[in-house]
Amino acid sequence: MKFDLKVNGTLHTVDVTGDMPVLWILRDILHLTGTKYGCGVAQCGACTVHVDGQPVRSCLLTVQSAAGRDITTIEAINQTEAGARVQQAWLDEEVIQCGYCQSGQIMTATALLQKTPHPSDAEIDDAMAGNICRCGTYVRIRKAIHKAASHDV
Amino acid sequence: MLLRYALLTALVAGIGSHTAFGQTAATSAPNQNEIIEKGEYLFRAADCAACHTAPDSKKLTGGRPFPLPFGTVYAVNITPDMQSGIGGYTDAEWLKALREGVGRGGKHLYPVMPYTAYTLLSDDDALAIKAYLFSLHPEKAETPQNTLVFPFNQRWGMVFWNWLNNPNKRFEPDSNRSPEWNRGAYLTEALGHCSQCHTPRNFTYGLSSKAYAGAVQVGWKAYNLTSDKEHGLGDWTDEQLSSYLSTGKAVGRGAASGPMAEAVEHGLRYMTPSDISAMMTYFRSIAPIAKGPVAQDMPPANAPLSTTYKRGEALFAQACAGCHLANGLGRQSDWAALAGAHSVSDPAASNIVQVLLTGTSLETDQGKVFMPSFEKGYTADELAALSSYILAHFGGVKADVPASEFKK
Repeated sequence: MKFDLKVNGTLHTVDVTGDMPVLWILRDILHLTGTKYGCGVAQCGACTVHVDGQPVRSCLLTVQSAAGRDITTIEAINQTEAGARVQQAWLDEEVIQCGYCQSGQIMTATALLQKTPHPSDAEIDDAMAGNICRCGTYVRIRKAIHKAASHDV
Repeated sequence: MLLRYALLTALVAGIGSHTAFGQTAATSAPNQNEIIEKGEYLFRAADCAACHTAPDSKKLTGGRPFPLPFGTVYAVNITPDMQSGIGGYTDAEWLKALREGVGRGGKHLYPVMPYTAYTLLSDDDALAIKAYLFSLHPEKAETPQNTLVFPFNQRWGMVFWNWLNNPNKRFEPDSNRSPEWNRGAYLTEALGHCSQCHTPRNFTYGLSSKAYAGAVQVGWKAYNLTSDKEHGLGDWTDEQLSSYLSTGKAVGRGAASGPMAEAVEHGLRYMTPSDISAMMTYFRSIAPIAKGPVAQDMPPANAPLSTTYKRGEALFAQACAGCHLANGLGRQSDWAALAGAHSVSDPAASNIVQVLLTGTSLETDQGKVFMPSFEKGYTADELAALSSYILAHFGGVKADVPASEFKK
């Protein structure tokens, strides 16, 4: 079946089965490999993208439920104001260790700041729960989010 | 798909005029294809596939085990294979099995098969289901032997049980009620056999008089469906009720899991909007009974958490919030919403325990939605703390779920 997917402002027509996860299309068909495959069951957050501004797990998002909606991936997040600040804060604070989960972390953090420009620690913890980092960079993630929120980047 | 739906709608509109409540009007006889297609719709409405297909086996070849306190009963092969299936059944034998619980050669069935509900089916509808099943490919698959203990392994004993519990009567429309109510009653009682899980059982294991007050079946809680505003469906909007029945989720009411998810997957999601609406009319008329858990809105988080709840909170953030979100609204899917669901306000935590142990899945028009089992990755203590936290956080219910619930 053919589906029209709007990714980072560009319309792509893909011919796949309706239950194919968007993650597979991003990585294998559109070759946007910044979004990572982690657990495949929406438990780790590495595959987070934005759909209509909401952070969602692309590994369990079927193409038929995403067709026609606005999808933003890590490749284009710097084109949003909050996304650019988050990425700069990530660099300033040297958040990343191995990096595998970080595109998902940045996508979730950006969605948080777009909705809550000045989040408290508790709001950060709530929003970032479900984005797992096995290097344990959580403390730096929280610090970087505060930094991005303060516009001090 | 669209064409198929249009055909089905046209067909069911046809059924509506001929056999509105399972009664037949004497009009021109439908041809065999029409009967088979009608049979497929009724077969879905009767939810046969959920029980007669075992995990990882061919469709309708039986073998699904039903563990009972006195042994295990296996669902049989209902493909038209002559030896191992139902291929040899005559119409008369079929009606006797479906409505009286007596199989070929006088062998009594066990009431795990809901013949006390199917007994309400009209001849035409019961035989349309048979015609549909006989149109399928016969599959050879022997049913495993039941492992019931004495005296329950004596099938003839069912004569007495039937005498008490099976009225063996066809559905009689109530002329004081609307045609829609009667259609809803027929769909709910005769086909959907909703009462089999949702009505408590009496000491003979027959249905009690507390119709739809809610009951526990195979470990899962089937909730109160009466029109009681607190315990039942009285406060649900039409939109919520229709969405829950036809898709297995309703905004502000959570999602169907376990056996209810199966009922939606195999049956309810194929029902036409007018049939769903008829069932709603019927549910709205069920006398209220104040029994069972009361679904709660999410309470404000103000009370300090005990050690157990704190442990549960951390586990929730790590393992659950990714899909369910801390506010319980569900990430990217209404099927992942917890807030407002009966299950998160049930002090016994029956369905929380079940879903954590076994997981759940539901085929939808947007693909399969599922939750995996969490039994292997976490200890019983952790799952218990997590359950207690879920009850407190989403349902405002203070209950310490014992770890023993996860050690069965």
